[in-house]
Amino acid sequence: MTVVRIESLSKVYGAVRAVDRISVEIGDGEFISLLGPSGCGKTTTLKMIAGFEEASEGAIRFDGADVVRVPAEKRDIGMVFQNYALFPHMTVDQNLAFGLEMRRVPRAEMRSRIDRVLEMVQLSGFSGRYPSQLSGGQQQRVALARALVIEPRILLLDEPLANLDAKLREEMRVFIRDLQRRVGITTVYVTHDQAEAMTMSDRVVVMFGGRIAQVGAPADIYERPQNLDVARFVGQVNLVSGTVASADDGTLAIDTAFGRAAAPARDGLHPGQAVTLSLRPEAIGLGAPGKAGAPGRVEARYYSGSLIDYRVALDGGETLHVQSFPTVAFAEGDRVSVHAPADRLWLIGAAQ
Amino acid sequence: MSAASAAVAPAPSRLRLGPLVLIAPAAILLAVFLVIPYLNILLMSFRAPGQGTPYGEGFTIANYLRFFSDGFYIRQVANTLWIGFLCTAICLVVGFPVAWQLARGSPRFRAIGYGLVLSPLLVGIVIRSYGWTILLGNNGLINRTLTNIGLIEGPLPLMYNALGIVIALVHVFLPFMILPLMAAIQGVDPSLETAARSLGASRLTAFRRVTLPLCMPGIQAGCILVFVLSLSAYVTPSLIGGLRVKTMAVTVVDALIDTFQWPWGSALALILSVTGALIVVLFARLTRMKWKVART
Repeated sequence: MTVVRIESLSKVYGAVRAVDRISVEIGDGEFISLLGPSGCGKTTTLKMIAGFEEASEGAIRFDGADVVRVPAEKRDIGMVFQNYALFPHMTVDQNLAFGLEMRRVPRAEMRSRIDRVLEMVQLSGFSGRYPSQLSGGQQQRVALARALVIEPRILLLDEPLANLDAKLREEMRVFIRDLQRRVGITTVYVTHDQAEAMTMSDRVVVMFGGRIAQVGAPADIYERPQNLDVARFVGQVNLVSGTVASADDGTLAIDTAFGRAAAPARDGLHPGQAVTLSLRPEAIGLGAPGKAGAPGRVEARYYSGSLIDYRVALDGGETLHVQSFPTVAFAEGDRVSVHAPADRLWLIGAAQ
Repeated sequence: MSAASAAVAPAPSRLRLGPLVLIAPAAILLAVFLVIPYLNILLMSFRAPGQGTPYGEGFTIANYLRFFSDGFYIRQVANTLWIGFLCTAICLVVGFPVAWQLARGSPRFRAIGYGLVLSPLLVGIVIRSYGWTILLGNNGLINRTLTNIGLIEGPLPLMYNALGIVIALVHVFLPFMILPLMAAIQGVDPSLETAARSLGASRLTAFRRVTLPLCMPGIQAGCILVFVLSLSAYVTPSLIGGLRVKTMAVTVVDALIDTFQWPWGSALALILSVTGALIVVLFARLTRMKWKVART
């Protein structure tokens, strides 16, 4: 259907570059998330794609054609808002019909399209209700249906789950993702929730301060963060210090508390230099004291059902966050040996 | 189980005095100074005209027959309604953009604008109406200026006609339109317009189909306020209209105070009130908002 190409797109407010020369290509039918803290420019980017914010520089191409000068109502987008933005004076039916009326779709076709979409979002039988008569989750699905019924070229979602409670949010993640796959529509999803971005997206665009910090599949972003900001923002992370032992054949050997790790050589890193590595909490194993690994002590233990989170103080002074299945259980105060596979130690860069 | 539910059940019904005490002042005020006088007027309108006294012996429907058999008074009611309608329509059209800016404009504009909108209310209505006679009179500021710069030969008829009354009433009642409109517009989420545009509506269509209907509660309140106030306005029409154009309110006061015909004046007052009330009810029915009623 539609390939979206963003080319060195910027949004400048006075002296502030809210979005700073970002470029990314979103494939046909791809689900891409813009992920970042508030103020990182993700929502501004979405609004520029939608046409509600004017781009200061750069191009936005839908299938090659630049739409920067095209008004929002002519861009043929479907948008879902954080507060749903359902028309309170219209029934579910009328909300869905609105976009079709704007497109002068004949009555009979309108009916069948509305019915089909309502069935897709499991709201058949709700067509005569007003938004005020629906629950938050139902309103959310009406908003989704209203955006999809017009069969837009691209679907834009602006933190659509932020106002739902935790349980419903998890259900809706799966629901939206499945629906998007079924419809096969190119989708841009804005969120500050990394778990949401990871579970739903084909690729994640991590943004900080108006710039793209990293673009990649969820596993790339999680396992191979390109800098400290990304590592910290996406999931929980332990920062482990190490020292470059040798640099041969384009490979660095790095000594850490968990043994020797390897990483591709990088400019500016040489033997003897102190570096920082990332280590995810679930990659760390705990064993009985005396076994292989760094010795330490369990400081705190947080049980959450499917997992247990530990805070472990290494005898060397570092504190680690460890996540393990409840099958391995230690009590607070227990001595443990801490080990981690070398391939889960990921080089971030020179220590700061 | 039953013990638990008993603990949760409300205490045995006891007369709740709180709410009654709280509404009592307003209720007493309304009963003593509105309902009883109204009943009095109703009674008075059926009394016989008096000879040298405000009213005579016995009861009659002659006052109402007099009204409906005399085209002059029917025309006067129609005229009064027309002035009320014009004032309301003009206030709505003129007030909406102002209310919009007050609701959506920059904070600084809002503070200044709010003060400006309210400022007419700080000056007494008599003073404002006299002010308009100075501006609108044949020898008034507007006519003299226009004559002096040679735009007109003789004075334009701005006073002693419906036009002058409407101009002055619009000025007086504009705040009563703007304030409810402003509150209504503030209650409309701007993202609804954005949503409408994302669905393919132009700015104008988004406004017409989404924002405007959602402002309906404010439009309704503002229109009813201005219409009712225009119908019952006395000071401004009597000063600007003079002897030439009389609204019903002026005629009623004439009958009650100048010619001392209390039954006749009461009948006229009631006819005006009932007509106005009927129009307000009809208007409210026509602009009824189904979505406001639909709550679970």
